[in-house]
Amino acid sequence: MSNWARPFTVDVSDADLELLRKKLELVRFPDELQGADWEYGVPLEDIKRLTSHWRHSFDWRKAEAEINKFPQFTTDIEVDDYGALNVHYVHQKSTVENAVPLLFVHGWPGHFLEVRKILPLLTAASAEHPSFHVVAPSLPGFGFSEAPSKPGFAGYRYAELLHKLMLFLGYEEYVYQGGDLGHVLGVYVANAYGHKHLKAWHSNMPFYRPPSLLSNPLLFLELLTMPFNKTLSEQLSAATRFRKKGMGYYQVQATTPQTLGYSLADSPIGLLAWIYEKLYKAVDHYPWTDDEVLEWISVYWFSRPGPAANVRIYYELTGGNAHDLFEGTRWTSVPLGVSFFPGEPVRLPKSWAHLIGNVVFQSEHDAGGHFAAFEQPEKLASDLRKMFGRGGPAYRVISGKDGYA
Amino acid sequence: MAAEQPFTLAVPDADLELLHKKLDSVRFPDELEGAGWNYGAPLSDIKRLVDHWKNGFDWRKAETEINKLPMFTRDIDVDGFGTLNIHYVHQKSQVKNAIPLLFVHGWPGDFLEVRKLLPILTASDADHPSFHVVAISLPGFGFSEAPKKPGFAGPQYAQVFNKLMLSLGYEEYVYQGGDWGHILGMHAVNIYGHKHIKAWHTNMPMYRMPTLFQHPLLFLDMLRMPITFALNKTAKAQFQRGNDWRKTGMGYFIEQATKPQTLGYSLADSPVGLLAWIYEKLVTWTDKYPWSDDEVLEWISVYWFSRAGPAAAGRIYYEMTEGNQGDIFRGTKWTSVPVGASYFPGELARMPKGWAYTLGKLVFESEHDKGGHFAAFEQPEKLAGDLRKMFGKGGPAHGVVSGKNGYD
Repeated sequence: MSNWARPFTVDVSDADLELLRKKLELVRFPDELQGADWEYGVPLEDIKRLTSHWRHSFDWRKAEAEINKFPQFTTDIEVDDYGALNVHYVHQKSTVENAVPLLFVHGWPGHFLEVRKILPLLTAASAEHPSFHVVAPSLPGFGFSEAPSKPGFAGYRYAELLHKLMLFLGYEEYVYQGGDLGHVLGVYVANAYGHKHLKAWHSNMPFYRPPSLLSNPLLFLELLTMPFNKTLSEQLSAATRFRKKGMGYYQVQATTPQTLGYSLADSPIGLLAWIYEKLYKAVDHYPWTDDEVLEWISVYWFSRPGPAANVRIYYELTGGNAHDLFEGTRWTSVPLGVSFFPGEPVRLPKSWAHLIGNVVFQSEHDAGGHFAAFEQPEKLASDLRKMFGRGGPAYRVISGKDGYA
Repeated sequence: MAAEQPFTLAVPDADLELLHKKLDSVRFPDELEGAGWNYGAPLSDIKRLVDHWKNGFDWRKAETEINKLPMFTRDIDVDGFGTLNIHYVHQKSQVKNAIPLLFVHGWPGDFLEVRKLLPILTASDADHPSFHVVAISLPGFGFSEAPKKPGFAGPQYAQVFNKLMLSLGYEEYVYQGGDWGHILGMHAVNIYGHKHIKAWHTNMPMYRMPTLFQHPLLFLDMLRMPITFALNKTAKAQFQRGNDWRKTGMGYFIEQATKPQTLGYSLADSPVGLLAWIYEKLVTWTDKYPWSDDEVLEWISVYWFSRAGPAAAGRIYYEMTEGNQGDIFRGTKWTSVPVGASYFPGELARMPKGWAYTLGKLVFESEHDKGGHFAAFEQPEKLAGDLRKMFGKGGPAHGVVSGKNGYD
């Protein structure tokens, strides 16, 4: 077992590129209802245009070269009962020696590259704001990390792996930032390693179980009076719409990920449509270029364990849809910062953020959606700087590492 | 407007070639150790089936067998949707006064589900009634055209059914269906019941839950369920199965009811993707049916080579639920049209038996100890037996179609 940080470069084989090219050449498109637009899923003209771009214009080797400018490594991390998993990650240290170690965790259908725009901001040195050492892994099963080979790799296993990665890198104490499943896993890390190792964390998708009478009587009463509370209703109606119209992927991935996986592994346009639907729907007017979309999809297409592995996370976290994503976790008093972005589809009333943890920082934005680090890196970085900087509510949570020279 | 034309299935060579080119470039996913069926269709099954598809399965032979069925197409005009060219099997019995029966499949079914029933139902015999059988490819499935615009739902399907039967000279007829065939049957009977549809039969009896006002006794029954379950372990187990299925077996439903187009790209482009998506149901929804690889691949091939392409079929979920917002039975209610129900143990969503009364004037019930969701395919003798009992001499729906009681 190699227990060192092996430098990593993305280097997709020519054979893999050739297979993709061949499959795109053999593509068979479905039909579409007249005037369907986005009502039934991704429009045919979008997929046709993106497919044509993928075949004729998109330059993967160029994208690969850009990706390889980020300092990437792989390391074996031992997880109880699962043996060693080879984990891929970006690790960018700041020039500030006492920078705050920050673990940035993506979700689905995200990946490690969501850190790319926020990286230079977080690691920048300045007297005006704190600096961070940033670790952005590919979750097991995603990007260039190995996938677990047996069933049952659930919330606390991910937390264990993420925590051990930070320890391996010499960060006994660290902070954490995540959205989507990165947020969900943050709850697990806070539960398992909060205070002792995880000193504070931040989420751009703050959500948890709804309040119950016994656990949160005041918030529960708020829930009951919802029909009469216009603001609350509005906030919840977007979430309700998403629940009714946007959760098909969740149901399939939480119950039959393998069945879905055959399509995602075999069909480039199948994979493209499955993910692009979320890239399009979950952002706030983000001006995706075809190159950006295709690079994103290509990372999934060329992922080390293949595109079927990543969707299993929904099954494992929910026990095959037997329970919610947060099984076995509770409220913790680990300091938590939350940022609200208007385009976030998974949106709960702001007051409910207190269900998750000890909210010490809150920020509301007027632009940005689900992929906050990618869409609004300055806003998100600014929130982290405010939360962890001098005068901020989580300043100097890590002794000796306040983020300043 | 095209009148009836005989139909011969003849997939172009180019389509067969494309399929094989795709199979040659297949890329399989990995699989968790010991996954079995827990995460979906197992890799070893899919690999074996793909290998057979490439090297053993003979589509042209299957096609020749399918073409032994008497198949036709004709144009049917649907209000607001223009003309749809509809494909169907039409097998007449030698018995002149055989009962006209419309057989309607569901998803992921197709018209071929009638194939084993056909010889039994159309047989002539003094001991049981005979039927003239019409088995339609639903619009968007098999070799029927698909609707081109949104909104094609219950009333539209019912219109296609009724116009087809009328165009064949069947002013009065009976109806058999499961899956969407059942749900659409409820719609058809609400609009054309009594006048045209004289009685109907379902092998997937289910409907809305009874309400206090509509069915007070059944509603009370429902309230008593915890007690019923304490006393009746079978009832409890059946309910549990339905409950489990709702939690773990409905992913395909929600996706097809909300984003059928997104899913459609995979199904149109990837033979193995389509295979897995449907095969999973063929196995999990049947009662230990001993599928042969040829049977599976023929079934999938009909979807792969379907006239509208494989993405069109899933839209029925969207249209019938209005994008997962509404009730699949919207606009329907109890009718006094005689209805028969057959219960097969492997069926997915099981209502407590008394609830079949909410469907209509329940005149026939039958409980079996074998068979699942695809009853006509898995247990054709049992299903045909039920229809013979229901419509035969002494049966509760005997002679419903004037002048056509099934005997000469």
